Amino acid sequence: MQRIQQIAAVCFIALSGYVIVASIRMEYYTKLGPGPGFFPFWLGLIMGGLSIAWLIQLARLSGKSKDSAFLPEKKGGYQILSILLALSATAVMDVIGFQLTMFLFMIFLLRVVGRTSLWTTLIIALVSSVGVFHLFGRYLDVQLPASSLKMLAAFGL
Amino acid sequence: MDAFSNLMMGFSVAMLPQHLMLALAGSILGTLIGVLPGIGPAAGTAMLIPLTFSMGPTGAIILLTALFYGTQYGGTITSVLLNVPGEAASAITCLDGYAMAKQGRAGVALSIAAIGSFIGGTFATMCLVVAAGPLTRLALQFGPVEFFTLVLLGISLLMGLAGKSMIKALMMGVFGLLLAMIGMDPVRGQTRFTFGTMELMDGIGFVPVIMGLFGVGEILLNAEKPFTQMVLAKMSSLIPTRQDVRDSVGPIARGSLIGTLLGLVPGMTNSASSFLSYIAERKCSSHPERFGTGMLAGVAGPETANNAHANGALIPLFTLGIPASPTVAIIMGAFMMHGLIPGPLLFRDHPTVAWGVIASFYIGNVMLLVLNLPLIGIWVKLLKVPYGILSAIILSFTVLGAYSVNNSVFDVLVMTLFGLLGYLLKKMDFPLAPAVLTLILGPMMERSLRTSLEMSQGSFGIFLESPVAVVFLVMTVLVLIAPSFAFFRQKKQSLTAEEDLL
Repeated sequence: MQRIQQIAAVCFIALSGYVIVASIRMEYYTKLGPGPGFFPFWLGLIMGGLSIAWLIQLARLSGKSKDSAFLPEKKGGYQILSILLALSATAVMDVIGFQLTMFLFMIFLLRVVGRTSLWTTLIIALVSSVGVFHLFGRYLDVQLPASSLKMLAAFGL
Repeated sequence: MDAFSNLMMGFSVAMLPQHLMLALAGSILGTLIGVLPGIGPAAGTAMLIPLTFSMGPTGAIILLTALFYGTQYGGTITSVLLNVPGEAASAITCLDGYAMAKQGRAGVALSIAAIGSFIGGTFATMCLVVAAGPLTRLALQFGPVEFFTLVLLGISLLMGLAGKSMIKALMMGVFGLLLAMIGMDPVRGQTRFTFGTMELMDGIGFVPVIMGLFGVGEILLNAEKPFTQMVLAKMSSLIPTRQDVRDSVGPIARGSLIGTLLGLVPGMTNSASSFLSYIAERKCSSHPERFGTGMLAGVAGPETANNAHANGALIPLFTLGIPASPTVAIIMGAFMMHGLIPGPLLFRDHPTVAWGVIASFYIGNVMLLVLNLPLIGIWVKLLKVPYGILSAIILSFTVLGAYSVNNSVFDVLVMTLFGLLGYLLKKMDFPLAPAVLTLILGPMMERSLRTSLEMSQGSFGIFLESPVAVVFLVMTVLVLIAPSFAFFRQKKQSLTAEEDLL
């Protein structure tokens, strides 16, 4: 945990460095008063100062506090990766449409992550894809994307 | 018009059939979110925002606020019947609520909690009605200088009270402000930190960020824990005895006061209100040693306090335009998405919206009281649904919510990224509330700072010219240096330690 926190502190320092450099490139002060770079410059500086203070605090605490594991166990890690993968895969929604994307998304989550039975999976996946698409489009005025592929669009997907 | 006539005008708006339906839908959805593990009021409210785009502003805010205070009712059910809090604020209720359930008095615990929640919520709403006039008159005199210092004070209070480490809370506050810098500069229109991406020109959407941090992040945290099947306590008669009612009067009165007062303080979580109410009850009781063994006061006080807190937290939002918690900040964001700015101008320019929403709080609380107890059976059945199915459904709604804000897949990816970030930050004990608050308040804060400095031609002395601003600045400094003093450090540590235990 200690090492991960130190890495995180360094990441925050890098972020503040980037913000300071990018802010300097913007206008810091104009004839009328503070420019677009004024506020982010000071925020970057404060973030940098706080991150360094945290890093020092971590170094002082090193060895004094009880260290706990940061990374999850194998099964938990696999579940987390599966969820993140499934969420990222929804990026194809504009291409294959909401209904197919959500159907596959739910099948993956329910079968692979949730270990749900086949019939329950199919019913929930259908309701949350086709059902939600029509419910939201017709009654709640929220338009969800149809497939941009002609072949799939022909099937109403 | 006086407060009473305004409230009556508000009731005429809130009693419209469509608004009654929305208050009902919000109350039921709020209870559902409160009951379900893995989703809290912040993610729930953010998820619902896209659905409100086709509604009028009054209806939209009625729905979202009803959902917010509805979650407080829902959290109690799981605390009493399962010994698992649906919401952090109901965690302390487990101690005596579950003990009562084991003694066959679950029904009494739930009905007293519902009555207390109703009284607490109604009391806080009455305070809002009374405070609205004087506070908005005061706030109308605020210029950019006073507004900037007020926001600074609100954010400092939140950072001073959030989490165990002040450094981490401050880092999260600054992180939220940095996120708010993405997109167009609010004064000159120059793009900042967009990496040449068109989608970031309008800034980073707060709905995907909040759903990522609070919704996806929470599900990722739960995914690494082994799932245990919940054991439900048996339900009993819901009707309390005369003695039960007598025993609850004091705790409900004290809980209403504690919750409303603490709700006004930015950064004070409603779990802190519940916890302080529990301590107050233990101190007031002639049998403090019996707490934890099924004392009704241990349920009535905290449950009243957390509902009073939820409604009380809306007072600074409505009167000063300052959100006191992440969920209230999301409601503020929803106001802005509907073209309204909460605060004193809302009462002047849109009185029907302001008073209509306030009147709906009374109606929503009555609905929750009447509906909740008969619906307990349904909520209990829902809890028997395996978490694998629940989490998949919640995730599908987060995707739907993130996408439909701008009809953009980019927002879904932003949500995923912030889900991972929320998971990592929570594991490192970073409080997320300051980041959400500053993300929403950031543009207003920057605009008021820059306008103030333009007025003074760059001199920071302008912040010392207004007595109100000086008071806010002194309070900000006190809040930030308070943790250096042993007394405050001990108080805060005991509070966070107790909250961790829950």
